[in-house]
Order: sequence, then C-alpha cells, then structure tokens
Amino acid sequence: MTLENPHHHVPRAGQTVLTPVEPALVPAHQIEAFARLSDPALSELGLEEFLDELLLRVQEALAVDTVAILLHDVDTHQLVARAAKGIEEEVERGVRIPIGQGFAGRIAAERVAVFVADVDHADILNPILREKGIHSLLGIPLIVEGQLIGVLHVGSLVPRMFGTRDLAVLQAAAARAAPGIERARLFSELEHEHQVAMVLQRSLLPKRLSDVIGVTSAARYLPAADEVGGDWYDVFELARGRLGVAIGDVVGHGVRAAALMGQLRTALHAYALQDHGPARTLELVDRYVQSMPDYAMATAAYAVLEPDTGEVQIASAGHLPPLIVSGAGGRVVDVTPSAPLGAFSYGRVHEQELLLAPGETLVFYTDGLVERPGTPLTESIDELLAVVRGAGSVDELCRRAVDEMVPLEGLRDDVAIVAIQNSAIDDHLDLHLPADPKILAEIRLVLRRWLRHQGANDSETMEITLAVSEACTNAIEHAYSPAPAEFILRASADEGRVTFVVSDAGRWRAPRGHDRGRGLTIIRAAMDDVEVNSAETGTEIVMHRKLAP
Amino acid sequence: MKLGDVQFSEHEHVVVARLTGEIDLSNADGIEGAIAEAMLNHVLALILDVSALGYLDSAGIHLIYRLREKLRARGQTLRLVIPPDSPANDALRLAGVSRNVETVDTLDAALAEFSTERRMAEAEVPDPGNV
Repeated sequence: MTLENPHHHVPRAGQTVLTPVEPALVPAHQIEAFARLSDPALSELGLEEFLDELLLRVQEALAVDTVAILLHDVDTHQLVARAAKGIEEEVERGVRIPIGQGFAGRIAAERVAVFVADVDHADILNPILREKGIHSLLGIPLIVEGQLIGVLHVGSLVPRMFGTRDLAVLQAAAARAAPGIERARLFSELEHEHQVAMVLQRSLLPKRLSDVIGVTSAARYLPAADEVGGDWYDVFELARGRLGVAIGDVVGHGVRAAALMGQLRTALHAYALQDHGPARTLELVDRYVQSMPDYAMATAAYAVLEPDTGEVQIASAGHLPPLIVSGAGGRVVDVTPSAPLGAFSYGRVHEQELLLAPGETLVFYTDGLVERPGTPLTESIDELLAVVRGAGSVDELCRRAVDEMVPLEGLRDDVAIVAIQNSAIDDHLDLHLPADPKILAEIRLVLRRWLRHQGANDSETMEITLAVSEACTNAIEHAYSPAPAEFILRASADEGRVTFVVSDAGRWRAPRGHDRGRGLTIIRAAMDDVEVNSAETGTEIVMHRKLAP
Repeated sequence: MKLGDVQFSEHEHVVVARLTGEIDLSNADGIEGAIAEAMLNHVLALILDVSALGYLDSAGIHLIYRLREKLRARGQTLRLVIPPDSPANDALRLAGVSRNVETVDTLDAALAEFSTERRMAEAEVPDPGNV
C-alpha cells in the first residue's frame, strides 16, 4: 500500500498528475453552489439523495458527460462505486477497484489529482469507462481529516483538455462534499431500514477470502436493485490446510431473509469447523433450519478442497450445479442435488468426490446470476460457462460473470458468485518469507503440496516437510533484530532428487543446553546430505534427498 | 482456524491433555503455558496425549522436555501417549529420542496404570482418622 506516501508518483501510461490549484480560480456562483452541500441539513437527506444532488451539481458546473463517486472500503483496501451519473452501470455492477491500480486506484493511493487525455492510451482498470466511450477523465481524492474517503471523477465523451479551472471546481466540490459524505453515510446507516439491512448483509459476508497457499479465490456479492436478499458465500480454512467453500440462498427477500442468511452462514461455518464433511454439515444445518419456529427454506452447497491432492468433497442441498473451468474448457458439474434445507424432516444429503486438477477452478453461484424470464435455466448456465471460460484469473472470472450476466436494467434478485482455483504448481520454489513463526504452518502446506507434485510418498513427504520446517525454524530464530527480517526458501527437483536451500542473514545458532540442536539432528536424520554454510553475511542450509522411484 | 489446540479432562486427580492440530515454534509456548496452568496442586499426574497430533517438531519436543522438568520439580508424574505409527513418534524417532518408561501406546493404558498405582498407594497409607 502506498497510502502513506503521497509524494511518490510513479509515471504511468497516459496519466498526468496535476498539482492542486488555488480556490480563487473557482467562479463565485459555483463556490456558493457547493457551499450549500456542506449544509448540515442536507446530510439528513441520506446518502443516496445527497450524492445524487452533489453529482448533478458537478455535472452541471463542469458540463461533463459522466460523474462518479467511489468510496473507500477500508477492510478490503478497495474503492467501491457508490454513485454515478452517465455511467450508472458502475454502481449496478458493484465495480471494485483495488487501491493503487488503474486510474481511480492511483488517485486514492497517491492522493493526487490525475488527468487522462485519452482513455484508449492509458492505464485504466475499469472496462465500463472504455465501453461507454469516455475519452478524457479527471479525478481527485476525497479526504476528510487526513483520511481517504473515496475518489470523485468526471469524464467527457469528446476529447477534452481538463484545465486548472476545471480542477479548481472539482476541488471545491470535493472539499465541500467529503465531510457531508461522511456524515450522510453515518446518518444513512442508522436511519433507513434498507440501509440497515444492507449493512447487516454486508457485514455478514466475509471481508477477505481466506488465503490458503496453493489456492486462489475470488467472489462477488451484488444486492438486488430495490430489496435485500438472502444470498451468501463463505470461504474458510479447515484443519490440515484444507479449504471450505460454501454458497447459499435463503428463499424470500427483505430483512428477515438477510437475518436468516446470517444465521445459516454462521451455522454452516461452525459445523464445518467441527470437521464434519460436506454432507453431514448440510444435514446439521438442515436440522437447525427445521428447529426454527417459523417456516424457512434455503438452498446451499458446500465443498471441501484438499490442496495437496486437488480432491474435492462436495454436497448440494437443492443448489444450482457448480462449474469447473479449466483454461479454455469447462463443464457443468453433475452434482446429485439433495432436498433444500428445511424442506423435509430428516432430509439426507448426498456427498460425492471430484478432482480439481492444478489450474482448474470450481465456481459456485446463485440463481440471481442465471435466472431470467423466458430462458431455460440450463441454457443460461451454459451461457455463464461460455462467459467465464478462459478467464485469466479467478478475479477476472468473477468480473466477467458479473459484467456479462447481470442485465443492464439492474438486478431483480441478489447475486453471489465464488470461485476457487487449485493453482498450478511450479517446479521451482523461490519464496521470500518474513521471519515470523506464524509462516511455518503455511510453509508446510506449500512443501506438502510441492512434494506430492514431485511424486514423494507419504513418509517421504512427512520427513522432508519436517526437516525443511526445522531449517526454516532456525532461520526465524536467527532474526533477533526488531526490524522485519526475512529469509529465503528455495526448492528444486532433478531426476527424483529434491534439493532445498534455506538462507538467512544470521549466524547458525549454536545449540544451547542439551535439548537444543535437535532441529539439526532431525534435519540430518531425514535428509541424505546436509550442508550448513555459515558466513559473516548469513547462514545457508542445503539439503538433498533422493525420492524412492 | 487454530493451528493447534489442547483439550483437558480430569480423571480422579489425573489430568489428560489431548493435543490436536499442529505444534511448532508459533504455538508451543502458548500450549505449554495452558498445560502448566491446568496442573493444580491436587493433581498427581499429567497424561499428555499426542496421538491425534498431525505435526510435531523440535519446538514440540522442547515443550515436552520443559514440561517434564516443571512437573518433576513439583513432584507430579508425566506419561506420554504416543502410538508407534503417529506423526509425533516419527518426529521423536528422527530426533533420536528413545521411548522410555514414560511412554505408552494408548490413553487407556496410561489411565489403567494410574488407577492401579493409586489403589496400591492408598492401601499403604494409614487412614488419618485412626491415628
């Protein structure tokens, strides 16, 4: 994150950083127009009306075709499109821009005004800006009391050289508007039931997807245009480096559905952590739904991925079939669906196994993404598959699904999509790691997965993982300095012989007491050859072992 | 998800600490502290059950050694439940630590030992009421 470094500007294609200008350049009548935006009474309009009013005034004052506000989501380090004129799709599709990337992301990260003369020749992340035919852009950060709140940008369909006067007007609008946005945001969250439910629903969705080594994941949640729904997804780590992925959809809409969604998501997550497999977990959630005093029903699917082997256990309670996408290919997975949760007393859930090969992606989604009047469901699921096939990353996959499948007139039902990819395994590992004991568990996950890929058997995997983990433990213990230190782990394989090098910037720690030094004993016992090279600059442990054919 | 965990149960003045998950440098101290705290004065012995442990390395072996020292100083006994085909046993083997009188294969064996021992001990001690 470069948030704390506002003076360091990296040149980027097609973008020009503008220096802030004097307010004196703004015509008096426009200052007055924006001054009214900081009127406390206006913030009681609520955020929607407030932003609407603000954007209209900016559009009018600058005679631009588009205006958009993206707000800073502190938890995810992203900008989220919140209000727009001329490019309403930004908000409908829930555009999210990582801070630091593209046009708006750069404005937020470096806290500078950026001018783009020609969108076609600039670093722009958001495809909607291109699709709409916007030619020139000007954007500035929104800051209140030193805190980044968001980004305000304007666009022109014809080539336009935004000048210092335009910048001054935009600055004046931002200066007046930013505190109003903060106030209105707080006010709205407390006041409107719709807002309350939205906040409830958002807070119940996971903020950041679990980061299990060897698996990458991405997800999107989009609320319906006018009502809250009961869709959810969840991704979490289980014991032994496995990953749980769930999706669900509560029947019905409104605050009750959103609240029920929160309960079911929590129940599923809690049962899953008890290491019940997918089928049993869904059965337990079903019993929980049965025990509710009011009628409730939901569909859900839950899968457990073993990153070492790519094995997936999967079960579905009436949910739509997931997809498996592999490069340019893909298929709809034939999962035997059991009855929805809450449908029958003592419903039994079937479980099955499938294999997610390295590079393949498992995709769960809810019906809001594929259900449309007059089109058979199987047809629109095939369409979804065609849309996401060949996506370069899980994030791109989710973006494509949302961009291509969400109707232009907005969503009638909410949408959740979650994708997990069993990442391809490199033949060489070259990991630069923080000298923090917490990293050891992740290192073991990487090692087990890599060793299996090299054809190691169970006992070889266990012994080698133990030895390399010991070498890394030693490197971490070297890091005496309070400053963040790092060490390097490299792995390679050559004709059935695996080699590991762990190097750090410290000295091999002399064994203290009769219990110390066991680490090296273990390394020597588990590996064929071990060299410890100590120098002033650091210590390097080189370990080899021949794998059984 | 917690990397490693410890669950306690008490059977007539014998504390059973059952370790699950993985133990390494990141959590060995915390787990040792939790076990030491469970060893109140009235407790005669600790049965440390590592059968369900998925991973143990030198950090965990140090934990066992330090616990043994602490218990010895307080006159409390230690028994280790380490099945021969467990990951913990593999780590001890590679570290060159031999199984000894403290080590048993199953939790039942450890519990049986203590109940017999205690009955014998109780038979030798005169009833304070009659002195």
